[in-house]
Amino acid sequence: MATSAARRGERLAPYVLVAPAVLTIVVLRLWPLLLGVNFSFTGDGERDGTAVGVDNYLELFGDPLFQTALGNVVLLVLLLPVAVAIPGLIATFIYLRVPGHRLYRSVYFFPAVLSPVIVGAIFNLLLAFDGPVNAALSAVGIGRIDWLGDPDVAMFTVVGVHVWATFGMALVVFLAGFATLDGSLLDAARVDGASLPQAIWHVIVPSLIRTIQFVFVTTMVGMLTSMFGLLYVMTSGGPEGSTYLPEYYIWIQQGQMNRPALASAASTVLFLIMLVVGMLQISLLRRAGRED
Amino acid sequence: MSRFRLARWVVAVPMALLALATIYPLVFTANVASKTRREYILDRFSLADAVRVENLHTAWSSVGMGRYFVNSLIVVTFSVVLLLLIGSMAGFALSQLRFRGSSMIFLGCLAALFVPFQVIMVPLARTMADSGLIDTYPGLILAYVAQFLPFTVFLMTSYYRTIPPEIVDAARIDGNSVYGVYRRIMLPLGTPALLSVGILDALFCWNDVLISLLMMPSAENRTLMVGVTSLRGQYSDDIPTFASGVLIAAVPVLVVYLFLQRQIADGVAAGSTKG
Repeated sequence: MATSAARRGERLAPYVLVAPAVLTIVVLRLWPLLLGVNFSFTGDGERDGTAVGVDNYLELFGDPLFQTALGNVVLLVLLLPVAVAIPGLIATFIYLRVPGHRLYRSVYFFPAVLSPVIVGAIFNLLLAFDGPVNAALSAVGIGRIDWLGDPDVAMFTVVGVHVWATFGMALVVFLAGFATLDGSLLDAARVDGASLPQAIWHVIVPSLIRTIQFVFVTTMVGMLTSMFGLLYVMTSGGPEGSTYLPEYYIWIQQGQMNRPALASAASTVLFLIMLVVGMLQISLLRRAGRED
Repeated sequence: MSRFRLARWVVAVPMALLALATIYPLVFTANVASKTRREYILDRFSLADAVRVENLHTAWSSVGMGRYFVNSLIVVTFSVVLLLLIGSMAGFALSQLRFRGSSMIFLGCLAALFVPFQVIMVPLARTMADSGLIDTYPGLILAYVAQFLPFTVFLMTSYYRTIPPEIVDAARIDGNSVYGVYRRIMLPLGTPALLSVGILDALFCWNDVLISLLMMPSAENRTLMVGVTSLRGQYSDDIPTFASGVLIAAVPVLVVYLFLQRQIADGVAAGSTKG
């Protein structure tokens, strides 16, 4: 009897081991996703809990702030190749042993471990209209720039700071990719008389296509989901709502406006954007990889 | 690769400038934290004429950064211990034991990895409020564990897959139960991965602001990063105190980075190559 009970205990052991993880993930990560989608078709305030069809979505797409947020997502997608190329090129130079390459990896990676809140606070200081960066600019004869107060400039400022803070992360991923690169291919390109840009385009890019694909997806996900701290500290969505992103809109509607159902609709849209962007990029890059 | 030598020297200068641009903002902040207000207004760039701890002291006690610091420390410690415990148990089972549904469970973890917090935060906030967990340490800890568990399970499973199954078989023949194998073999063998994943989890939790803002509305429960965001409104005309508050939040990360950057970078790289 004792042995059969022990055997049964052993058979159940794998389930006991995974149970805490499965419970946590299902209850607090996957189930809320369904709840949220469901919730986005109900009302806020007085209409709490009643089905309202697609009203939230109509309101959402009619809201100028959400339209700006979507426009900024398009801007991020357009800037994405730059945000991927910068760490890619830097990794290439480190791989080619630029003088000081040993040091650079640890220096460049450092901002990536700082909280966006700390990064944002520091750049608030540096980029204030009467702050040190403008003081330096006007000292060398360039006029002051209203980095965070000009609606045409602020979004680029925030994205620039985000790239400054995160390129080290992608750099480390690229360097891990370079560790698997076959050095003899580069030597062959060199013997054939290829220039560095040619070698990058014809040897490095095709060899690292999987890494590049991964960095594209993670950089886009990072831009869509981890700029909240910067936006919250640097601009609070302003000036004139010009730096709204969907994640910031969700926060405002949930945390400030007490419109959870509307926020859920925005969440669902953000999730769909991420699905589409992710799949599009993977299929595009697959095709590019196959042509070589 | 001698042909690329010229190119290497051409980029040497921009690479060095970029390195400066990477470090300078923090150096600037540390310098400002040592200045008096008058000194800062007169000259922002000059070196502070002495290392002053008064500003740090003000930020730590009057501003409340000390209290926020302790809050963060408590929450991060419990979150990381739970993440590593739950994550390594699941990782061991998913990589070394055969049971029905294991591949489904692993896929579920992968899927959860791609559900960002912003997408689930509204219903999660409601669930947490309904169960009375808003504005409590356990609530925030639970939210962090849920947020970073898929990543932790994924990396621990990948790591435990590299351990030959013969080791488990041998330990079983020696009379160990499955739990015994986990405790006596898998936990010790998993140390490098536990360290690497644990540091990353700690950084994620320590650096978070959105989850903490949502879960901890009252001022005395603020974590350190939320404390930093509150500096902006209160101390926007006292830049040295502001900079001191930022510095208090940044220094622990800097120290961890100086000693453990290899493990951090390895963890990030492992996440990418196993994906």
